[in-house]
Amino acid sequence: MSRRLPELLTSRGAAPAALVGVVALVGVVAFSPGAARAVTTRPTPAAVSTTATTPTAAPSASSAIQYTSPANPGGVFYVDLPPSFIAPGQALYAANCASCHGAQANGVTGVAPNLQGLGAGTIDFWVSTGRMPLAVTSAQAVRKPSRFNRLQTLEIAAWVQSLTPGQGTQIPVVNTNTANLESGNTLFTLNCAACHTITGAGDALAEGAFAPSLHEANSTQVFEAIRSGPGNMPRFGPGNITNTEARDIAAYVTRVLQHPTNAGGVGLGGIGPVGEGFVGLLLGVGVLMLVCFWIGDRA
Amino acid sequence: MIDKSLRWLDDRLGVAKGGRTFLDKIFPDHWSFMLGEIALYSFVALLLTGVFLSLYYVPSAHEVVYHGSYVPLRGQRVSEAYASTVGLSFDVRSGLLMRQAHHWAADIFLGSIAVHMARVFFTGAFRKPREFNWIVGVNMLILGIVNGFLGYSLPDDLVSGTGIRIAYSIVESIPLVGTYLAFFLFGGNYPGSGVIIPRFFILHVLIVPAILVGLLAAHLGLLVKQKHTQFAGKGRTERNVVGTPMFPSFMAKTTGFLFMTTAVILLLGGFAQINPIWQFGQYQPYQISYAVQPDWYMGWLDGALRIMPSWEWVGWGHTIPLEVFLPAVVFPGLIFTILMVWPFIEARHTKDLEYHNLLDRPRDRPKRTAAGAAMLTLLGMVFFASSTDVLANFFQLPLIWVLWFFRFAVPIAPFIAYFLTYRICNEMRAAEGVGQRKRALVVMRTEEGEYTTVPSAPRPGDGHEELEPMPVPTFIDVTPPELATSAGVRRVIR
Repeated sequence: MSRRLPELLTSRGAAPAALVGVVALVGVVAFSPGAARAVTTRPTPAAVSTTATTPTAAPSASSAIQYTSPANPGGVFYVDLPPSFIAPGQALYAANCASCHGAQANGVTGVAPNLQGLGAGTIDFWVSTGRMPLAVTSAQAVRKPSRFNRLQTLEIAAWVQSLTPGQGTQIPVVNTNTANLESGNTLFTLNCAACHTITGAGDALAEGAFAPSLHEANSTQVFEAIRSGPGNMPRFGPGNITNTEARDIAAYVTRVLQHPTNAGGVGLGGIGPVGEGFVGLLLGVGVLMLVCFWIGDRA
Repeated sequence: MIDKSLRWLDDRLGVAKGGRTFLDKIFPDHWSFMLGEIALYSFVALLLTGVFLSLYYVPSAHEVVYHGSYVPLRGQRVSEAYASTVGLSFDVRSGLLMRQAHHWAADIFLGSIAVHMARVFFTGAFRKPREFNWIVGVNMLILGIVNGFLGYSLPDDLVSGTGIRIAYSIVESIPLVGTYLAFFLFGGNYPGSGVIIPRFFILHVLIVPAILVGLLAAHLGLLVKQKHTQFAGKGRTERNVVGTPMFPSFMAKTTGFLFMTTAVILLLGGFAQINPIWQFGQYQPYQISYAVQPDWYMGWLDGALRIMPSWEWVGWGHTIPLEVFLPAVVFPGLIFTILMVWPFIEARHTKDLEYHNLLDRPRDRPKRTAAGAAMLTLLGMVFFASSTDVLANFFQLPLIWVLWFFRFAVPIAPFIAYFLTYRICNEMRAAEGVGQRKRALVVMRTEEGEYTTVPSAPRPGDGHEELEPMPVPTFIDVTPPELATSAGVRRVIR
């Protein structure tokens, strides 16, 4: 046997290949129990700190804001916009919105829809997600950094709301800490996943429209979207999804989908087998082909 | 000691002869001949990780309440199959590593089969006398795809459940017998009577792998029996095989490769997430997630379904859903038939009925190479069509544009690929010195100012480096044992 050892070692690449292979194998197997433990002891989503707005933290914009209606069950409060917001709101509206939606926010036929009666929550959704003012007219407005800070957004919403007091969607403040994630999971799968995908990554729909990614939305925006049904999205009223349920969905989006338990390594974008196929073929088969090329003859 | 035990075994089982054939098998050394080994070793990885998974997986559609460690699922009613898969991912030590490694190994298994098959095709290794092994290989590919789909369906999560729903419709689309077949498979109208998970399980872990192992044995047995092909080179003819013997050189190399393959699979399993079913939730027939694709090796079937216009035929009280039947039954049937009979199609076309042990360079068979490129382009286009929605979303294009792009690209692109490949092959054959290492040209200037160029002397390694003949191992004694010759005993020559 010893006579053959040199031959064995000189067979090109065999020895280094075996060595690297064994080291990698041992390494992975040795670390795997630790990896598994890390998975099981990782803080559950309930323990993940949330950036979602809570009644005490949210409106840093102004201490003048009051919250109404504890009569609402489900840990949802509504922002009570003070009358002092209306005048600066009108100025902001006139400068940024009126050219399309009209000076009285009643819309321009063929150009922009009537905003009266939609409520402060609807306005807040479109402006705080940066969709309004539009950058370009396309099939669907896209999310972008908002042009306004929180106070300015609330002022615009206050002015539009003042045209039709009491009507439309209000601006909620959602306490996701008390939410039921199991219920949020079930409701999300049932009502939202069909367009936004089960991981919330979003996807293209027909006619140039698309279900946007939910990975940047905060709990207020999720709640407002459920209640106001922006764009192609259906509107879910309180008879369909209660405040408690909408809060659970918002909590599932902000606490689970945005901070997934990415056990098992890099998440690969949450777009499923498309990404996995690329990695499997390019990294898996590709690397192994390079190994062939390394240890095999190239003549 | 080894000598003694081998002799003991040989006296009883006669292992020497077979062992000698095996250990002396000559492997011509070329990197592309090792692609099939990726498939072989990922199959080994599949078997090993699969055994681990089967210890924890419960093949049952029976509903239980989830009480595991993944919080958002707690309290939900899920099937035992789903609960046990989430459980083995989170609550079994190194269970997630095993599950992910199993899935990556499946992706790599089928990917390497495809690459291996392309090598065999483009070098003409399927020609006489190896047509049979080619057919065995195609059947292994089909079974591999089938088993991949079965295994993908077992966790009973939302994404794979959608795949089962599609499979049901595909079976149903077969004219005349479709409905009966679907009822037979699923035990009733969709979603059936809960039998599909245990049935898929037994197919996935027993029946299909058993056939695969049998075919694998035939595949390798034929490889030993018919000996390896080799590229043309100095000293290589149709009647010999030039290379290194199984023992010791090739065995060292291939064992190293086994470790490399399992290492890549386990590294992916440990560091790259695949199929995070806890995010998807339990499959319910009334729920769906958008952006659902199958695993990559099923992608071309999904893509064909997506781009098919919605045609159907109605008559005599029957409906034949051509929009499902054509892309999902006829199309793959046609593709696999073409693959299987290709050696015979080509032999008939070229009227070449000789034995072939020397391989072709792809450029020297421009028509075959172009046909292969066209087939790969067709399958590649249909494959990309399975991610119309992801492409539309990524490039921010209307979905319908992407769809219509593929409706045109799928039939047209293969012809373009054929034409281009054919031209490139011919150009490469015509050009001088292509494929050889370039030599430096030395530019000289005479005193009169005339310039001449002289090629420099060849460097070592420019030519083919030949392998030195290596002695075969001599320690295995093949002298047959004394055979009984007494009266009444028939002497059998072995």
